[in-house]
Amino acid sequence: MKYSYDSTMAKPPVISPPGTAKPKLFSILSPYKGIISVLAGLSVVTYALNLVLPKIVSHGIDAFIGGRWDLSVVALQFALVAVGMAVFGVLLSVIQTYASEQVARDIRNQLAAKISQQTFAYVQEITPAKILTNLTSDIDSIKLFVAQAIVSMISSIILILGSAVILFTINWKLALAVLMIIPIIGGTFSYVLSKVKALFIQGRQIIDWLNRVINESILGAALIRVLDAKSREAKKFEAANEDALQTGLKILKMFASLIPIITFVASLGSLIILSFGGHLVIQGSMSLGDFAAFNSYVAIFIFPIFVLGFTSSLIAQAEASYGRIASILNMKDEVATGTLTPTLTGQMEVRDLVLTYGEKPVLKQVSFTVKAGTRTAIIGPTAAGKTQLLNAMIGLFAPTSGTVFYDGQPLAAYEKQRFHEQIGLVFQDSIMFNLSLRENIAFNEKVTEADLQRAIEAAELQGFIESLPQGLSTIVSERGTSLSGGQKQRIMLARALSLNPKVLFLDDFTARVDRQTEASILANVRKMYPDLTLVSVTQKISSIEDYDQIIVLMEGEVLATGTHAELMKSSPEYVQIYASQQSTNHYELHAE
Amino acid sequence: MNYTLNNAESRQKRTRDTLGSLKNLWPLLADEKRPMVISFMAILINSGLNLLAPVCMGYAVDHYIRTQNYSGLFMISGLLLVMYIVVLGSSYYQMMTMGGVGQRTLYRLRQSIFQKLQSLPVAFFNQNKAGDLISRINNDTDKLNQFFSQALMQFVGNFFMILGSAIVILVLNARLGGAALLPAVGLLLFTLLTSSYVKQKNAISLQKTGDLSAEIQESVNNFKVIVAFNRRDYFRKKFAEANEQNYKASLSAGIVNNVTLLPLYGLVANAGQLIVLGYGIYLISIGQFTLGLLISFLTYITRFYDPLRQIATLWSQFQVALAGWDRISDILLMTNNLPQVSEAAAISSSSIMSFEEVSFGYDEREILHKVSFDLERGKTYALVGPTGGGKTTTASLMARLYDPTKGMVRLAGKDIRSYSDLERTKKIGFILQEPFLFAGTVGENIVYGNAEYGSYSQEQLLEVLKETRLDGLLARFEKGLETPVTGNGEAMSLGQRQLIAFIRAVLRKPELLILDEATANIDTVTEQLLEEILAKLPKETTRVIIAHRLNTIQNADEIFFVNSGELVRAGSFDLAVEMLMQGKRES
Repeated sequence: MKYSYDSTMAKPPVISPPGTAKPKLFSILSPYKGIISVLAGLSVVTYALNLVLPKIVSHGIDAFIGGRWDLSVVALQFALVAVGMAVFGVLLSVIQTYASEQVARDIRNQLAAKISQQTFAYVQEITPAKILTNLTSDIDSIKLFVAQAIVSMISSIILILGSAVILFTINWKLALAVLMIIPIIGGTFSYVLSKVKALFIQGRQIIDWLNRVINESILGAALIRVLDAKSREAKKFEAANEDALQTGLKILKMFASLIPIITFVASLGSLIILSFGGHLVIQGSMSLGDFAAFNSYVAIFIFPIFVLGFTSSLIAQAEASYGRIASILNMKDEVATGTLTPTLTGQMEVRDLVLTYGEKPVLKQVSFTVKAGTRTAIIGPTAAGKTQLLNAMIGLFAPTSGTVFYDGQPLAAYEKQRFHEQIGLVFQDSIMFNLSLRENIAFNEKVTEADLQRAIEAAELQGFIESLPQGLSTIVSERGTSLSGGQKQRIMLARALSLNPKVLFLDDFTARVDRQTEASILANVRKMYPDLTLVSVTQKISSIEDYDQIIVLMEGEVLATGTHAELMKSSPEYVQIYASQQSTNHYELHAE
Repeated sequence: MNYTLNNAESRQKRTRDTLGSLKNLWPLLADEKRPMVISFMAILINSGLNLLAPVCMGYAVDHYIRTQNYSGLFMISGLLLVMYIVVLGSSYYQMMTMGGVGQRTLYRLRQSIFQKLQSLPVAFFNQNKAGDLISRINNDTDKLNQFFSQALMQFVGNFFMILGSAIVILVLNARLGGAALLPAVGLLLFTLLTSSYVKQKNAISLQKTGDLSAEIQESVNNFKVIVAFNRRDYFRKKFAEANEQNYKASLSAGIVNNVTLLPLYGLVANAGQLIVLGYGIYLISIGQFTLGLLISFLTYITRFYDPLRQIATLWSQFQVALAGWDRISDILLMTNNLPQVSEAAAISSSSIMSFEEVSFGYDEREILHKVSFDLERGKTYALVGPTGGGKTTTASLMARLYDPTKGMVRLAGKDIRSYSDLERTKKIGFILQEPFLFAGTVGENIVYGNAEYGSYSQEQLLEVLKETRLDGLLARFEKGLETPVTGNGEAMSLGQRQLIAFIRAVLRKPELLILDEATANIDTVTEQLLEEILAKLPKETTRVIIAHRLNTIQNADEIFFVNSGELVRAGSFDLAVEMLMQGKRES
């Protein structure tokens, strides 16, 4: 029952921004200077008013003792200040909420825009799970920082400084005596918070781990039910949950010690007022009103010290979150796109392509050419690197070395948008969006109605679409659970064809579609898209025997290139694959 | 059963008031009565002493300071010091116990959510967006976490502080006390009246966060298509839309949470002070009150209204937590529609599985109509038919991922519903069309959920793999059993993922092994190896193979043709091919 918390989630971002020091949390506020200064100003005013009230009360008491009591004057002063506080308080809250929500929304959009510019490889590297955390919980802690930390800091400092000054003006000796407790409080706070930080990080990691297990049990729900792996998973989960509990209890212990100690020290403050202040009153060097005021101001003064302490832990958490986000925000956009925008003919050359994953070479010096308008098949065993080769050919992954040329120009020289418009790709795994069938097929917005209809016809989807009550407007549910594997595959093909591509890449398209459908679909494609250059990864020899070129790929190497007839003579590996499929061939022939 | 969580109609029904939500929460707290009682007592001592302190202060002012009695002043200072020390101890104790209650409740909550997720049927996961479920569980539990680990203690402490101060105030002087507390009564009413509105706003905001997270989940997981079809703008646009919605909902929840309550509480607290000052001085002037008492009274008023203000902040946190709790209990209240039924009369049967007039549809549309067949032990069956014809559905019913709407599925003569999950899954191995991998290593993945080999060492496991001839397949993984699986195996090819799923299922030695296009993306040479492995399975193992590649099914003893709700025995391989051709022409 082993698990490690640092497996995927807790890993520090792999790519750190070059040349930047620790990201500065406060720098996110610079675009909001206006609203933040209003916020700061309002909190100064609101909390300064806070300091006035006890003064009015103590003046009132002294006035009463001195026989100058006038209720209406005191009440008027008091009401003015109280109403002022309420009005400013409302304004402050509104602006606080606005500012924090706006900052959160804007950073989310910036982050999403940034991520949308990244390569597929980079998104895989930082993992979709971490992106989800970045866009939700990390932003939430920044939101909390803007909403609370700023006002709390300003107000606390005002209250502490203000009441300290007032205390000194009332009676400096007593003030000095009472303020002795500050270093004690400050010291205790910084000691405990420094210890609790490590626990916070540990707790966060355990929670990340728990969440990952929960996420897997959602995404892998069907498998878990088929295997009845519930109890095993539950044990693992329980162990981690237990760890989370223990960490939670450790953090609790810290705070359960911290808060009573601070409260105790603060109480000592009022004890000092009573004994030493009492002595001063008895001596006659301080009035009773002042004595009452002292009590109130010390109460005002202690609370912000608590607040400051907790705010500093809030800031620390926000800083950690911002660090995670900043590493993405500071990423350079995907390498500048090229400028060439010609229409592709379909002529391609793959030259010395090398792709390495970690230490493992996936593709080793792969080279071949494809003539415009021809059909090429790539065949080879599982894990030979076929999919990676396709991905590199359309620029989803940058190769470790080597180049892919289209019409004699390297792929990087082409303007990305124009390039992708001319390339159709049908992925191995079916990817459906929670949109209507129409939007799923015409996924690129430039697709016209005629293009759409032609693609549907070629992929033989008319019958299926007509059978649906809402036709093309039917919403495809998430992960396409309402569709069969073959239907998804054909929708993916229609999606690629609707672009009117010059080159069509098929990754194991035949795997999920029956022989008959496959044959007629491919015939449709030849007839309806005559100029198309086709590159098809496949397992089935029978469907590619008449192709212009067949490439045998094994363990990342091109073993042989040629037509079916040539390979049958020259490539033992090809012959072996052929032999493995021979037994059923007369049926396939019979089928045609 | 309808498992849709974000359904407007069913949500209407589920909307609860504060009390209703709390009632739902109670079972999680039921085991904590003792520590809760103890900590309430600690809170009582604590608040009692805290309240006594200002009385002592007031007494000291009236009796010692004004009469210049030093010894009395020192005595009472000493008494206060002792009281503060007791408070130090009791509040530590109280926070530890109450905090412990919170932490353990959270533990139980996570535990029950996880167990619930494990017990719900596949239909539940198909009817809800993964992103929204994840948001409910990660984000909404976190809201409860914040409440339990921070707010709860303050909440309880403040509540007693308020209660205690109110009592002292009323005892000290009922008339002045009553007047001073009057604004608070109005405040209480206002808060109670608005709380359901506040909670509703927060519920909307949390739901929008769920939508946002579903949006991220979909776009980021499908990033490949977004790049290849040059729709980076799609992600930005869809995200910006969901983000804007989330912003609006969150803003209005935030305003409701902060704006109305906090300043209002401040205003009311100040009104209370003014009343005490004015009315108190009047009472002193007519000789019914003393100056020392007035000073104490002012302190008590602060001690009454300050925690009240604290509670105002906590109150909105509380409403957020309750809204989160509602969303979680939506899940917890779901029940499995695939219960184990009591054993019905078994019929003696030599077949491992039989369908008796089985009908099924995911919604109103029927996918299978009165399908009947028998699968005999030790034979190999193939299901063929056009895409969307119902092959996968038939297989899912065999493994009881769903129950038929009509008819009965029998496993070894007994109603399949009478088996426990453990018994059933031991008998049936199902390799799903979409292989799923867990983060970890290849080795961990192939023994995943395997009771027998789960604890085996590498060497032992390799030995087992050799016996079953599965070891040859490991060559497709760079580091064999140790090959890491990151994410959910995104970096691996589909063929590799299928190999892992294959090994995983075969290792469990099921009596009935279902392969749903399980080898579709594996090359034909490796596939021959898989066939040899399948052929070497124990004699009585029944195999059900769904495939498009004809060579995969040519060795089948029997072939069924599945299309438009019907399942027809094809007789021979040639006949099956014939039907496949005709079926195509018809549809």
